[in-house]
Amino acid sequence: MKLSPALQSLETALQIPIHASIRPACCLVIPSFRRPQSHTQTSTFSTTLNTLAKNTGRPKQDPRITLIRYHLHHPLTPRPLRLSRQRALRHWTIHRAAQLLLHRNRYLRERELERQYNAMRGAMEELRLGVGDGGRLYRQAVSRKGIYGGLKVGEMDGVVTNGGIPVEYARAQTDGPPRVGWDHSWTRG
Amino acid sequence: MALPAYTIRPALRCLRRAPALGSGSISSSHSFKTSTSKQDEATVETTTSNTPPPPPPDLDPNTVSTRREERLLLRTKGVHPIGSRRRRAALQSSDNVPFEQMPYQCFQEARKVLQEDRESKLEQITEMRRRIARWQNIPAEECGGEVAKKGKLVRMQKYLEELKILADINDPVIKKRFEDGMGDMNRPIYRHLADQKWRAYKRLLLMQRISQMHIVPDILAHLDPTAEVSLGFGRRNVQPGEFVDSRVSEMPARLNIQVFDQSERFVSIAVMDPDVPDEERDTFCSRCHFLAVNIPVSPTSTSVPLSKLNKDDHIVYPWLPPYAQKGAPYHRLTVFVLQQDQTSFSADGRVDVEALRKGMGRRRERFSLRRFTQGKNMHPIGIHLFRSNWDDGTDGVVQRAGIEGFNVEFTRKKPEKLPYKKKDGARYR
Repeated sequence: MKLSPALQSLETALQIPIHASIRPACCLVIPSFRRPQSHTQTSTFSTTLNTLAKNTGRPKQDPRITLIRYHLHHPLTPRPLRLSRQRALRHWTIHRAAQLLLHRNRYLRERELERQYNAMRGAMEELRLGVGDGGRLYRQAVSRKGIYGGLKVGEMDGVVTNGGIPVEYARAQTDGPPRVGWDHSWTRG
Repeated sequence: MALPAYTIRPALRCLRRAPALGSGSISSSHSFKTSTSKQDEATVETTTSNTPPPPPPDLDPNTVSTRREERLLLRTKGVHPIGSRRRRAALQSSDNVPFEQMPYQCFQEARKVLQEDRESKLEQITEMRRRIARWQNIPAEECGGEVAKKGKLVRMQKYLEELKILADINDPVIKKRFEDGMGDMNRPIYRHLADQKWRAYKRLLLMQRISQMHIVPDILAHLDPTAEVSLGFGRRNVQPGEFVDSRVSEMPARLNIQVFDQSERFVSIAVMDPDVPDEERDTFCSRCHFLAVNIPVSPTSTSVPLSKLNKDDHIVYPWLPPYAQKGAPYHRLTVFVLQQDQTSFSADGRVDVEALRKGMGRRRERFSLRRFTQGKNMHPIGIHLFRSNWDDGTDGVVQRAGIEGFNVEFTRKKPEKLPYKKKDGARYR
């Protein structure tokens, strides 16, 4: 049988018989008088590769390194990406502009959030001090009484409770929003 | 299988360009018609005999692309061609569009964004300048005392400097100019870039050498270099901590002091050797090899050749060649650049050279930098160091400099005999 040229060169580079199992008579790489030794080794604890354990005259090298070098220098491997001076400068310019835009967007978003927070805080402060009811409305608005369990609606006047279900668990926790946005047909009980 | 495009493109380009330039050398060299070439030669001879030789073609080091033209350029103008031959060939056929006008859409959009940012930064700069001017006119009582006002102004000035750098830091042309070494050190952006570059490697190396050779506890308690100092002897540049042959360091060094903050200032330069063996006290002492004061340095005037300094205005101790006696350990030669700060009695920080000469006398031995800087309002901004050892040239160097008492060879003391008597070897036979 014929092997592809890439496989053949791999075989010579690595000195391992790729098709040894297919053609046991092959003595291209491993001389036949040595082969029984490598086959008779049955110890399970040695992880040394046959190619490394074998006593050839040449210096031994890790087959992984050989493989990496083989593929790096293969003619079909594309050349490494190298930018010319001008192109690198253009690339740098575009990168800096993109970073600048990202930074600006982040900055604007933060400012907007800050503005919203301050507006809400001002409104609550107005509710607390400016309404003139001694802060009663404010206390009712921020009260978290009963949300983690408590009485049902109507049993305690003025305080809305949901009968002991924490707000976090009012709906089953899902990764995304529901497919139907709002279930209008739903009624309590 | 077709070859990848990039392997053939430059060659094709050259071939395409060849007839346009009128160099038919390729076709003629490959033709087998000897008769036609002979005819050509004959015509060439006749033309040269009749008319004077044509003037050499106008060769541009950016675009010459044949060996012959390169040689001609080197011979006629003495200029080496720039870049690779392949690049020069590519430049010939390209229309030289300036970098900013390159017709790439994304690039142009990016430039627009950057320009917009720069304009907003410039607005901020003018606004900041206006504010600083206003705050300077407000009396100190209104803004919480003299200290508070000064602190506020300093902070504002710092922010202004930051803005100046931010306005230019995204400009590709500035980056290119800096990488080419064409930056104008009067502009804050180039000074900032140079500082960053120095701190990225050279300063780290220098600090490592300082700590390895124990300069910091031995000579000064603390060092924070803010100026780049490079040192050389003649054409030889010296890396920090390198061993320098005594024959090389016989001539005065040339220094290059690059400061990264704007202003003209006066510096002193002290070269000292803290490893002079002192036999009487069985220790080491120091010696001053060079001392000069009032040397003007600014971001643009960086070169300070020690041999060209004015003897009357600057030099307290002229250059004494570094030397080491045979058998002694190596000597660390340390070059300090000390900035002379303003004092109450001299507005520009000048030091009186005459008084210094009288006060120091002719004694270079036992020079202490701590003592020297004590009452003078000086602080070290730059440092460089090299080492010197006894070598073959030391003898000649020392004799030429007229130094006495150099011909000493240091040897190790023999260890004392152990107190017990060694038994004779006969017993062990």
